[in-house]
Amino acid sequence: MAASLEADRIAKAFGATLALRGASLHLQPGRVHALLGENGAGKSTLVKIIVGALAPDAGALRMAGRPVVFRSVREAMAAGIVPIHQHLSLFPHLSVLENLSAFALGCTRRAAASSALLPRAEAAARLETVGLHLDLDQPVAALSLGQRQLLEIARSVGRECRVLVLDEPTAALNHSEAARLFEVVRRLCAAGTAVLFISHRLDEIDAVADDVTVLRDGRAVIAGTPRSHLSREALVRAMLGTAVAAATRHLPEPGAPVLVAAGLRPGPGDAPADCVVRAGEVVGLAGLVGSGALELAAALAGARPAAGQLHVAGRRLPPGDRQQAVALGVGYVPGDRHAEGLFPVLSALQNASACSTRGLAPAGVLSPAREAARMLPWLRRMKLHPFLPAMKARTFSGGNQQKLLMARNLAIDGLRVLVVLEPTRGVDIAARETIHDAIADIARQGVAVVLATSDLDEAMALAHRVLVVRHGRIAAEILRGAARTNLLDALAGQAAA
Amino acid sequence: MRTALRLLGGQRFLVAPLCLLGAVIVFAASAPEFLTLGNVSNVGAQMWVLALLAVGQMFAIVTRGFDISVGAVAALSSTIAAHAVNALGPAGLLAGPLTGLLCGTLTGFLIGFLRLQPIVATLGMMIGVRGLALLVTGDGQVVPLHDADLASWLAFDPAFGLPPADWGAIGCILLAGALLGRAVLGRRLVMLGSNPDAAHLVGIDTARTQLRAYQLCGGFAGLAGVLVLLRAGTGLPTDGAGMELQSIAAALIGGTALSGGVARVFPVVLGAAFIQAVLTGLDLQGVSPFIAQIVVGLVIVAAGFLEFALRRFQGFAFHRRSWT
Amino acid sequence: MTALALPLPVRSAWRRWRPGAAAWTTLGVFLLFAVLVPRFASSGNLVNVLRVAAILCVAACGQAIVLVLGGIEFSFGSSAALASVVGVLAVPWLGPAGGLAAGGAVVIAIGALNGALIAGFGLPPFVVTLGMLMAAAGAAASLVGGQPIDAPPSAAFAWPAAGSVATIPVPILLGAAAVTVLHALLSRSRLGRLWYLAGANPVAARLSGIAVGRVTFLGYLVAGAFCAVTAVVLTSRVGSGQPNLAPNLPFESIAACAIGGIPLAGGEGRAHQVVCGVLVIAMMNNAVVLLNFPIAAQQLVMAVVIIGAVLLQNAGSLPVMLRRALTRRPNA
Ligand SMILES: Nc1ncnc2c1ncn2[C@@H]1O[C@H](COP(=O)(O)OP(=O)(O)OP(=O)(O)O)[C@@H](O)[C@H]1O
Ligand SMILES: [Mg+2]
Repeated sequence: MAASLEADRIAKAFGATLALRGASLHLQPGRVHALLGENGAGKSTLVKIIVGALAPDAGALRMAGRPVVFRSVREAMAAGIVPIHQHLSLFPHLSVLENLSAFALGCTRRAAASSALLPRAEAAARLETVGLHLDLDQPVAALSLGQRQLLEIARSVGRECRVLVLDEPTAALNHSEAARLFEVVRRLCAAGTAVLFISHRLDEIDAVADDVTVLRDGRAVIAGTPRSHLSREALVRAMLGTAVAAATRHLPEPGAPVLVAAGLRPGPGDAPADCVVRAGEVVGLAGLVGSGALELAAALAGARPAAGQLHVAGRRLPPGDRQQAVALGVGYVPGDRHAEGLFPVLSALQNASACSTRGLAPAGVLSPAREAARMLPWLRRMKLHPFLPAMKARTFSGGNQQKLLMARNLAIDGLRVLVVLEPTRGVDIAARETIHDAIADIARQGVAVVLATSDLDEAMALAHRVLVVRHGRIAAEILRGAARTNLLDALAGQAAA
Repeated sequence: MRTALRLLGGQRFLVAPLCLLGAVIVFAASAPEFLTLGNVSNVGAQMWVLALLAVGQMFAIVTRGFDISVGAVAALSSTIAAHAVNALGPAGLLAGPLTGLLCGTLTGFLIGFLRLQPIVATLGMMIGVRGLALLVTGDGQVVPLHDADLASWLAFDPAFGLPPADWGAIGCILLAGALLGRAVLGRRLVMLGSNPDAAHLVGIDTARTQLRAYQLCGGFAGLAGVLVLLRAGTGLPTDGAGMELQSIAAALIGGTALSGGVARVFPVVLGAAFIQAVLTGLDLQGVSPFIAQIVVGLVIVAAGFLEFALRRFQGFAFHRRSWT
Repeated sequence: MTALALPLPVRSAWRRWRPGAAAWTTLGVFLLFAVLVPRFASSGNLVNVLRVAAILCVAACGQAIVLVLGGIEFSFGSSAALASVVGVLAVPWLGPAGGLAAGGAVVIAIGALNGALIAGFGLPPFVVTLGMLMAAAGAAASLVGGQPIDAPPSAAFAWPAAGSVATIPVPILLGAAAVTVLHALLSRSRLGRLWYLAGANPVAARLSGIAVGRVTFLGYLVAGAFCAVTAVVLTSRVGSGQPNLAPNLPFESIAACAIGGIPLAGGEGRAHQVVCGVLVIAMMNNAVVLLNFPIAAQQLVMAVVIIGAVLLQNAGSLPVMLRRALTRRPNA
């Protein structure tokens, strides 16, 4: 069968970084092609070249055997290539309907906006395909992250589409949402679309992928091999160059209470939450999208105003006061790293030292030497790659940006509590292990950890106990070692058997 | 779209009407003759220049830019239109908007295609256009119209309640409203301001769209220049200093967000009416124009406050569970 | 990997001192004028250029802080005018030095007010400083009825503009001091680092435990202090209270930073960039006067130099952009 899209020996450099060094990719119609690789391997760069958002330095693209050159996203879309990017590309000020019609609005040659909008019935049907039920006139700013991701998918899949490109579409989705997405993908495949799918979750690859390409350092080390011919170990070894076993980590016995919340209500609709996190204890917070788990975690870190009482090591922490929180040694790794975590134009080093400026500049005078001496070990320990501490944070890949945020919080002087939200979203397997190791490590050093995650395996693997949040209240507590199904049932609101 | 904007902090569009209402009440209370028909129509007649400039400015601001050259462009347009009318008759008035369009095209090219920051491009344009206006008038001489009757008929003789020039301004503003609210171009401008990266990714030609925004801005400045010409009967090459800031102020009071993606035409016109009412009202009460300037400055800051207060009042529900 | 990491201090030193696009642009403009404009490169004239540059430089240093914070400061122009009027009016009571100090205090107070409004209430800097620009201009004009007033002639009043220390003119000393202070603040002080953090991402800064409000306020306050120095020198130079003293100061200071390559988006900007931008503007102002151009032509040249200098900064990508602009896309 002729490949519907071929990328042939693509090369791309950003300054001194060689993101791609001759990567090739062959997509077949009607098959899901998984693109794997560690953070920074060049997956997103390859995708951007395929969808016309970046021009390659060398190499060629062919569709159905004929060479093509895309000078813009618009040209690629005209050729039937539909992109869904790693970072959300919706318009917060526009309505759901207008966002659904964004491609038409971008490309139409008509003058009247109404002629470019989808008919409302069709728009509703398209939302239906991803299982969304939304008011079409609602502004997108009012939607949750998961809803936005689904909306973005709905926006793209309705199009005349020969090649669908999904760059980590599931990073922000929970299991049921992801399952719905896979259904949509299979339906499109059955209609002859070629799908390129990027994910760091091997379970998902097992579930949907027909063929696999693995990138390492900008080259394909496995090129279009059918998934069934490869074992998991072979995949991981190809990605990382070594085998990584998911370690079972030893967790310490919890000590004295450190973080005590009494009647904490992150929002007016939430039930007051009481919880105690002890020194060396890892407490998981799990909940479906919109359940309020992330909000509760943020409130525990003092990152969000809330009613109620918070105490850290016996000292009062006014809710919503991050300044006081950092002074008391409460670290916070936010879930939305672009909006709330990263300083994109500052260097990796400056990102890492953001919480520690007081300690680095005792008399208000900052010494670069001291800063490097204190922070570089943390960056090294988080295995920042490429290890260029002076490079701007926005040029690092997603997983490495996450490592910067972890490093920043681990470096806080006198860290007592660490609240992490979705620490491994969009992070490769090796980095995931690195981050998990770091979390287990600081727990062993007596830090109380709150881990809010929608990744159940992560919660079960790392936490002493998992608090399940439903409709803004702590609905259940699952202890370490319980069966995964218990947790699933608790999340969905069924009584555990 | 309506509901979308209303939900998304529609309160910001209340600032202009509230301000206008407040100004009217204050002036009416302190000087009852303020509300006489003559006065109201006086404000009405004077406000259209500012309204045109502010509406043009709004197109630039909605894409996350702004244009500080509009005052200079209006002045240049008024002189070029004056020369053209003297040479060609009434059809020469078209030279005004054309001049504005040309200036806007250059600005838009610099910002959209050559990626200059708006402040640099429009600052350069402001200085350059002022120089050009001096050049075409032999160092700042005013350019009187030969046919002054035509101008005064267009600008002052009411037909159906308003002079023809004002009807023209209203027509252009309605057109702008349709463009922003109903046309594809308007949607693209909003999309560009709302999320520039996404605009690029869904296939919008961002450079060209930005070019259009500044063309519109320049075109409206040109129209404002024509209105100035008609009302004064002479082209004024050195006029318009201060207008750029007033137009930005009117657009902001009218709810346009500097962070892009939010704008409506009608509140912007009310914002212009408000600033004009303050200036005229203070003038009527014999307050020195300098004091009026202080008041306008403070009012701009106060309008920012009003929006802040409205946001506090209504906002809480919106922030919950959007981006966590 | 580790090999790359080791020479970090060396590499960052090179990054810091490598002549960037801004420096090359400045050098280019200098050579251009030196060749084209007679008498431009004479030492007397260059001192003159430096003197003018220094005055603008101090204000531009303040502007740079505000830009690093992701803000913008328009009120400089009329706050300098208000300072000159207040300063001259205060001379009979406070003496020349006291009058100048009072003028400077006014600018600092306006900076503090701006900072309080912006940091305390989250109002947009653009709106606040624009409003303040108009209000202060109105205040300056109404204090003196719109007409300039002369200061009683005195050596002390003229000193900040005309005096010299060890044969170096005072304005040049002040300019150099301002750049040094700015550099120290931005690269060696905790406050400066907090300005970068708050400007690069205010939400992330708040969540990192930084008092964004206080940091922002201090930024506008310090910027006001820089501008106060400029206002004092300008007042001293004209020797009178001018309600229309420096209408272009905010624009020129922003343009200087932009020519130096400081983006308005916040989180970026360094002291040497300010110096480069200021020098370009000062050389240009000087050259058009030396060439004896009529005002109209002077303004056209200034426009071309401002835009051209900023374009030169990204000269590398210019051909690409031009090609983009000139090729019409095939129909989608
Ligand atoms: N604009 C840029 N400037 C400089 N370097 C860049 C830029 N974009 C990407 N890179 C670099 O190119 C390499 C490949 O990045 P890319 O985003 O393609 O990785 P990825 O495989 O998608 O990683 P992830 O799984 O984390 O999303 C990285 O080393 C990254 O730092
Ligand atoms: Mg990626």
